Amino acid sequence: MSHTLHGILDPTGAGPAQEQAPPVADRARRPPSLTGLRVGLLDNTKHNALLFLRAVGDLLTTEHGAQEVSIVETKQNFSVPVDRSIVDRYREHCDVVITGVGDCGSCSAAAVADGIAFERAGLPAAVVLTDAFDITGRAMAQVQGDADYEWVETEHPMAVLTEDEVRARARTLVSEIVGRLTMAEAA
Amino acid sequence: MDAGQNGHQGVDATMAQAAIEYAYDQGWSDGLPLVPATRELVDRFLAAGGRPADEVIGHLQQVDRTVTVELLAINAAMAGCRPEYFPVVLAAWRALTKERATSGGGWQSTSGPAPLVIVNGAIRKELGINHSGGVFGPGFRPNATIGRAIGLTVRNAYGIRPHELEQATQGLPGRWSIVVAENEEESPWPPLAEDLGVPGNAVITTLLRTCEFVDNRHTSDPEQLLADFADSIGRSGAWIFKHAGAGVVLCPEHAQLLARAGYSRRDVARWLVEHSGRTTAQLQAVGKDNAEQNGVRFPGQGEDPERFQPTLADPDKVIVAVAGSRNAGISMVVRYFADWSGTPVPVIGPEAAAITHDSSIPEEALHG
Repeated sequence: MSHTLHGILDPTGAGPAQEQAPPVADRARRPPSLTGLRVGLLDNTKHNALLFLRAVGDLLTTEHGAQEVSIVETKQNFSVPVDRSIVDRYREHCDVVITGVGDCGSCSAAAVADGIAFERAGLPAAVVLTDAFDITGRAMAQVQGDADYEWVETEHPMAVLTEDEVRARARTLVSEIVGRLTMAEAA
Repeated sequence: MDAGQNGHQGVDATMAQAAIEYAYDQGWSDGLPLVPATRELVDRFLAAGGRPADEVIGHLQQVDRTVTVELLAINAAMAGCRPEYFPVVLAAWRALTKERATSGGGWQSTSGPAPLVIVNGAIRKELGINHSGGVFGPGFRPNATIGRAIGLTVRNAYGIRPHELEQATQGLPGRWSIVVAENEEESPWPPLAEDLGVPGNAVITTLLRTCEFVDNRHTSDPEQLLADFADSIGRSGAWIFKHAGAGVVLCPEHAQLLARAGYSRRDVARWLVEHSGRTTAQLQAVGKDNAEQNGVRFPGQGEDPERFQPTLADPDKVIVAVAGSRNAGISMVVRYFADWSGTPVPVIGPEAAAITHDSSIPEEALHG
């Protein structure tokens, strides 16, 4: 327990090291394009998330050269970042990952942590969050020691959109997602 | 009644103010002033709790932060608890960690849920935890500070702060102060924790979305009274998934009316499970008529419009507690954030430390 000014005890237990973790910006190497690559989708269970991810997956295979959507899983606990076994499974079964949709307090933060975990394991990842959760996403990026981590932002809310609106949203974001996953610039 | 016990002589008020401002500057405060936690003060909490300082009593996976007995004690001291409250704080914290809702994203949720802590046993009176008039309201140090200790621990030890990792859309008033003792003296039933298998000093807890009053000074018919609760429990706005969780904290007048009519605590829970809800047509009007086993409700076609959809799933998960004054028929529906385990946790601490009203801990407790 660190003692501080005036003998007042610190209630955080964090200590200076954890408060100011050095940035570790491990990004996976980007492929030049998605041509022939396998796409993994990780659904965080929030309403419309899986529909959105599948719509993006369709666009990547039909219009951006991806070979297939090769793995789709639903998180058991949307609040908790992916563990080693999930990361390993994705690394085995796909070449790039798309995850989200961060549309709630804890799942948005966890999605950012997921993206950072995939990148550190060498998998390019695109994390999708609604714009209402940028601050909590940034707070989690700092907790994970990757304060500058970037994700794909979309307009809030997502959960109340109709199926057609979700598909339209996927089309709007797909080029930015491709840009995030490859060396191509976002259009 | 505490005045004069803490050796007020010789206190430099300017220094006290500086210490309070220092704690604000560190970002430790929930908005109200904090008591500066010194080694000597925290050691008295640790002695009262009777647990090793470095014992880990909480870990939040997503932020990889840990709560130890020491950190809980520091935050309890800062919250304004007296050392002898610490066994109740420890039990409340342990009870919360057993609730599913706190192991996931509950503390970060847009719901901004509040811990409900209900205390049973002689320790209520020994510590002066309010169980009667204004039991949900302010004015009583243990009620106000035990819950605050939980809140400060979440903020400081887990690092979950509003506008950062804590994402409450609106939150709720009194989030960290919903601590009530049961009014065992005027309850017609055994203490709640005893009914659940833990007699004596114990706490039960869960996370709440809100508390909603039911004012019924209008009927002596038990079914009419229960129907008034069922109406509040069944309201559609509180519904997200197939079922929603809720309980009742009855005032003595309502509890006694029901007991006189032959209702046990279990009978009350069962009646509320059977009668709280809405028809499919009513739910269709708000876009919530379709429910699958998992996942949020969604708009459907309103098939079978008169079908009754029950709000509550299981009478064993309906809290029925008694608290408040006997001066009116005013009770509270307590609306769960997720669910309730139905598991009381005993309050354990060095007996001498737990029962003393004096702020100094006996020598044997310090070394026991």
